Amino acid sequence: MSALGRGRGAALAGEALETAAAWLLGVLWLLPLLFAIWTAFHPSAYVAHFSPFAPLTLQNFVAAWNAAPFARYFLNTTMLVTGVLAAQFVLCTLAAFAFARFEFRGRDTLFMLILVQLMVAPDILLLENYLTIKAIGLVDTVPAIALPYLASAFGIFLLRQTFKAIPKDFEEAARVEGCSTLGVLWRVYIPLGKPVYLAYGLVLVSFHWNNFVWPLIITNSVETRPLTVGLSIFASPDQGIDWAIICAATLMTSGPLLVAFLLFQRQFVQSFLRTGIR
Amino acid sequence: MAQVALDAVTKSWTEVPAVKSVSFVVPEGQLVAILGPSGCGKSTLLRLIAGLEEPTSGRIEIAGRDVTGLPPSERRIAMVFQSYALFPHLSVAENIVFGLKVRRVGRAEREQRLAKVADIVELAPYLDRKPAQLSGGQRQRVALARAIIAEQPVCLMDEPLSNLDAQLRHEMRVEIRALQQRLGMTMVYVTHDQTEAMTMADTVILMKGGSIEQLGPPAALYERPETTFVASFVGAPPMNLVPDGDVTRGIRPEHVRLGPGGAGDVARRGTVASVEYLGADTIVSVSQGEHGRIAARLAGATTLKTGDMLDLHWSPAQESLFDRAGRRIARRTPELAV
Repeated sequence: MSALGRGRGAALAGEALETAAAWLLGVLWLLPLLFAIWTAFHPSAYVAHFSPFAPLTLQNFVAAWNAAPFARYFLNTTMLVTGVLAAQFVLCTLAAFAFARFEFRGRDTLFMLILVQLMVAPDILLLENYLTIKAIGLVDTVPAIALPYLASAFGIFLLRQTFKAIPKDFEEAARVEGCSTLGVLWRVYIPLGKPVYLAYGLVLVSFHWNNFVWPLIITNSVETRPLTVGLSIFASPDQGIDWAIICAATLMTSGPLLVAFLLFQRQFVQSFLRTGIR
Repeated sequence: MAQVALDAVTKSWTEVPAVKSVSFVVPEGQLVAILGPSGCGKSTLLRLIAGLEEPTSGRIEIAGRDVTGLPPSERRIAMVFQSYALFPHLSVAENIVFGLKVRRVGRAEREQRLAKVADIVELAPYLDRKPAQLSGGQRQRVALARAIIAEQPVCLMDEPLSNLDAQLRHEMRVEIRALQQRLGMTMVYVTHDQTEAMTMADTVILMKGGSIEQLGPPAALYERPETTFVASFVGAPPMNLVPDGDVTRGIRPEHVRLGPGGAGDVARRGTVASVEYLGADTIVSVSQGEHGRIAARLAGATTLKTGDMLDLHWSPAQESLFDRAGRRIARRTPELAV
């Protein structure tokens, strides 16, 4: 009885500890965001001075919007992300379908090569990519930012696994019902892979929305800079550091992404759980 | 007119062919069952007809056209899969009209045909549901509806009832057969369940090791098995095979009688090894030592117990005789000549 009680006590204590640790990590992770929100909505005087009754203001956002061409940056980032998303969906889907459902010479070797590419750190390729883009004459253009990312080894791998897990009966039924090869892909494989596309799309969008080093290197002008680069220039010392305005700009640029994640988070987590279980 | 005709169709992946030079024809409006144990090549044969596999050699005709090199979509067939292969992302209605949509049949005609078919398979109240929300029997009906709505000359069925429980299987058996006859469909039906084959088919093709063992109406397979394999596969319990010198005597359990028998009868003696009471009749299995067992079907219940000594006999007129290779020997008993 007492041993049982002790065991339960220990279990309860363990659970409490886990909960506390989860809260601690959560708060630590949230702290910068909370600071940014606090700072962005209050006058500069309250940046390092916490007072619950400080006056709220939207002036920082107005100031930030007027201080730099954020509208242009938004446009550039949106073009970049939609372009990469569309290209990767098309190219990775076709490649994954070929790897998952066709027999051809050298298929496995080719697939291994693609997997090997996953192990190459992207930063190593910065210089080489720059030289290639320069040779094509595309330096300082939006397509130049997108070009190295139009196909993705991760995307091919993920979709191939998804397609392979779809029972072959579905494909055969569709073929008997009159579908061509591409018809089967369009009517069976892609619709059945929808949750995976959603998760993959979200990861892709957030990655390219946040991508910084490569756009920083390849762009030089307002017309091509994406948000991340624009923001960093905006926040650099030569603008004079006003934390309130910088935080407002940061919230503004990451806002759409945050909203997207909040909207899709359930489907997002579920689909990754499911791909894991398979 | 033959709706399906196979001529010396062979399929091999390795040295050993999965289907060995198979030929048969399916007349219009008939249901032909391809029966056999697992691994006999019956599913491969159906996939060859469907065009999901390519034959190594031979010729396949459907509705009077040579379709040997054509893809499944151009063979004018409908198919019901063992797993039903219902698309989980589509509703029942969308699943049923899937093929019509692919083949660009107009919306008005689609709706009209859907309403008709949904009525036939009694699915009208479920058209908006997803397959996951249906019972096993209902899913089977959706698969059936998808095959019917295509109005193709030939319908292929790959063990369509194997995922249903016994009760439902019986109902669907009757229903599919009724539907097939009412709509005049030509059907090739693969099964490993002899009850399905015997009760539904006009013609049964029994396969073994990739070739046809016997082809004929169900009664012919039951009454005049061409080989010992057919004799031991068809019937529950199967035909008794009693070795006797150079020949094997085959006798159905219902033709075995109790008692020593009279002149001209074949007689055997043994001990009762098991008694199976089935309600309407009882199967008594009599051990012959090293000569195996003989099953006898007795009407109603019996007082016999395991271990009882028992005399059995039967009339040679009801026997099938097989040679050493297991092939049927033409009967030479005098009483037939009378």
